[in-house]
Amino acid sequence: MKLRERIFLFLAVMGPGIITANIDNDASGITTYSVAGARFGYALLWTLIPTTVALVVIQEMVARMGVITGKGLADLIRENYGVKTTFYLMLGLLIANIGTTVANFAGWAASMEIIGVSKYIMVPLGAVSIWMLVTKGSYRFIERILLFACLIYFGYVISGIMAKPEWITVFKSTVTPQIKWDPEYVVMSIAIIGTTITPWMQFYLQSSIAEKGIKKENYKASRLDVIIGCSITDIISFFVIVTCGALLFPSGIRINEASEAAVALKPFAGDYASLLFALSLANASLLGAIIVPLATAYYICEAMGWEAGVNKTFKEAPQFMWIYTLTVALAAIVILIPGAPLVFLMVLSSVINGLLLPFVLIFALMLVNNKSLMGEYVNPKSYNYISWGTIIVIIGLTAFLLITTIIPAATGG
Amino acid sequence: MPLFGELFLSDIIRKPVFDPKGEITGRVKDIIVVKGDPLPKVSALIIERGKQLFRVTWEQINLFNKRIISTYLPASLLEPYAISEDDLLAVRDILDKQIVDANGAKVVRANDIKLEGYDDDAVLIAVDVGIRGILRRLGIERGSEGFFKLFQTRMPYNMISWNYLQPLKPKLQSITLTVPRQMVSELHPADIADIISKVSREEGTHLFKDLDIETAAEALSELKPQMQADIINAMDAEKAADIIEEMPPDEAADVLSDLPTEKAQEILEHIEKEDAEDIQELLGHEEDTAGGLMTNEFIAYSPETTVRETIERFKKDAEEIESGYYIYVLDEQEKLIGVTSLRDLLLAEAGARLSEIMETKLKTVPPDADEMTAAKIISKYNLLALPVVDSEGFLLGIVAIDDIIDRILPPSAKRKRRKV
Repeated sequence: MKLRERIFLFLAVMGPGIITANIDNDASGITTYSVAGARFGYALLWTLIPTTVALVVIQEMVARMGVITGKGLADLIRENYGVKTTFYLMLGLLIANIGTTVANFAGWAASMEIIGVSKYIMVPLGAVSIWMLVTKGSYRFIERILLFACLIYFGYVISGIMAKPEWITVFKSTVTPQIKWDPEYVVMSIAIIGTTITPWMQFYLQSSIAEKGIKKENYKASRLDVIIGCSITDIISFFVIVTCGALLFPSGIRINEASEAAVALKPFAGDYASLLFALSLANASLLGAIIVPLATAYYICEAMGWEAGVNKTFKEAPQFMWIYTLTVALAAIVILIPGAPLVFLMVLSSVINGLLLPFVLIFALMLVNNKSLMGEYVNPKSYNYISWGTIIVIIGLTAFLLITTIIPAATGG
Repeated sequence: MPLFGELFLSDIIRKPVFDPKGEITGRVKDIIVVKGDPLPKVSALIIERGKQLFRVTWEQINLFNKRIISTYLPASLLEPYAISEDDLLAVRDILDKQIVDANGAKVVRANDIKLEGYDDDAVLIAVDVGIRGILRRLGIERGSEGFFKLFQTRMPYNMISWNYLQPLKPKLQSITLTVPRQMVSELHPADIADIISKVSREEGTHLFKDLDIETAAEALSELKPQMQADIINAMDAEKAADIIEEMPPDEAADVLSDLPTEKAQEILEHIEKEDAEDIQELLGHEEDTAGGLMTNEFIAYSPETTVRETIERFKKDAEEIESGYYIYVLDEQEKLIGVTSLRDLLLAEAGARLSEIMETKLKTVPPDADEMTAAKIISKYNLLALPVVDSEGFLLGIVAIDDIIDRILPPSAKRKRRKV
């Protein structure tokens, strides 16, 4: 194949991998990186490399299943593991994703307040526009909008450069693992992995590949899409940590929210860097608020066997459209209610996500090794060692994070 | 007969299978399904004991119901079984699979499978695609019924009859319907009747209760008299009255005449006075006579009406009428003097009067004429409806061609129906 043809083919296939991986840096992702940078400087940068590897390993398998079977992950789980398993898995994911959507609307509201626009205007406006985009748009159109929105993430790269870090120290920290037995440090490093590898993205990636109808012959282009996507994600994470690490860490400023980071940056980096940071957060939140409810609608419909897809109308896929609509509406309303227990909802959602992740990953790995589904595209033996190893490590870390989240929550600390 | 009545696949999966000594030989893992006439049937059970699989053929099964499954064979004589790709296994191949319509659009998943005793076999009668199927598999169907009752609603039964599924083959990825999706959600009342007549009486009554009044009335018309009576009898009088009111008076009268007198009276009391009078009038005639077959809903105007007026009035009046192919012309004493077909009416000059265009050589029957006489006249003169006129020339009603055909050739639903 000529180079030009290859590039063209890649452009046709690209989308799902890049979008999924980027949206991974939603409001809660950016929050985690900002907090990590402000609290520990560059010390946690090295975790991004193993995280990227793990992300690529998992996303590649899921993408491969989407291409080969033409079905979503929830489809395959229902057909192979029955209704009971699927039902409880879906119930958990629904609750967790409503929480994640709330977190994204909260990020959107906070970043808009920094710019000086009331959330009572911007949250309804944001909710209506993303609802219109999905219910009235076609898959191609939405994909283009999302790909374009992914470019706005480079705002973080620019603010990272504007922060003028000492690049030599930054690169040294990136390649040399530092282990500190400080509980906060350990929890933070696990949180970075936890926010990067989530249950919903496995479902979204596989469904959007299935909906795009990528053919077996083009699988290699799809794999490239996934690898590029995962790399970009972690490059963005890198710059968020660098920005906060260079400016906030030396002065000992502690933050709990990404929006606080945007405000705290102002005296050090000036209005533009602060504004850029806030706008990038707004973009990330809004993207998350589109994709997470969309993923929810996809997998519930797949599990139940209903028609799904953004190419469909309300009449063709009523359940799909309603689940999407109600998730967006519910999350937006929660944000607008004064005194709603936002923090509780977000903790709950991350706990449920943590509980579900092992199951989702184990199912994915068992399915990708199922010969009657995947034929010759099952994992090669050597690859299985890597993927099982990755999954076991992730499960171990998530379990640890869960315990540390639940214990202080339970004891009121 | 091993299976009497009906059960769901989920009722028997993981159930123990007993041998003649009363010992557990294993647990049901799956069932092998083979092609049968008219519906696919169970050919064997696959039983799991420890890690081993055994096959028990249908002939070796002694008891097969929700509560107990047993075999004639002692545990030691069971035939080992190796999972084969060539067998069609209900759990592996059908349950949880996607059901797509004739256009390939996803409809729903197979949540459960309903089996029913038929001759000496257990046949696969329908796929449960509704919420009940899911709750049953989760083991909370009964509990959820109570929950729904709190909201004064009932969970719908949502089944797709096996007749609407394309033949199954082993190793299938999805199950295809023979009809487009719209038809499943909005099945024609005649098809609903078809499904109702195939399920047991209790199920049928349930299915029926969930239909909207209009559909219910139409579906009821398609059922065999005994089934109609059973269903109406099981309903409370008010709901029954609503449905009966929707039906054409002749069919309503037929249904009521099959009911116990007390129940019929109770229902009549709930029906609007005007409709009730119509029905009562019809109830006076013998069932297999023209009087018993006729409906007293017809369109009749005076001879002076112009064609233009007739068309205007017809548009309003015909809305509620079952058979409106003819306009009858009555004199001041309400005696039948002529008739015109819709076709002749539309072809006539707008200013002409009915008296000028009407056909006066009338073909009529008296109310006590038997149904074959009426059928012969309709057939001989190629009529769509035949007026029923008493000895003094008053128009009592009309016998429509579809009512006559139903008498001579019962609709398919009525023929195929069998009782459980």
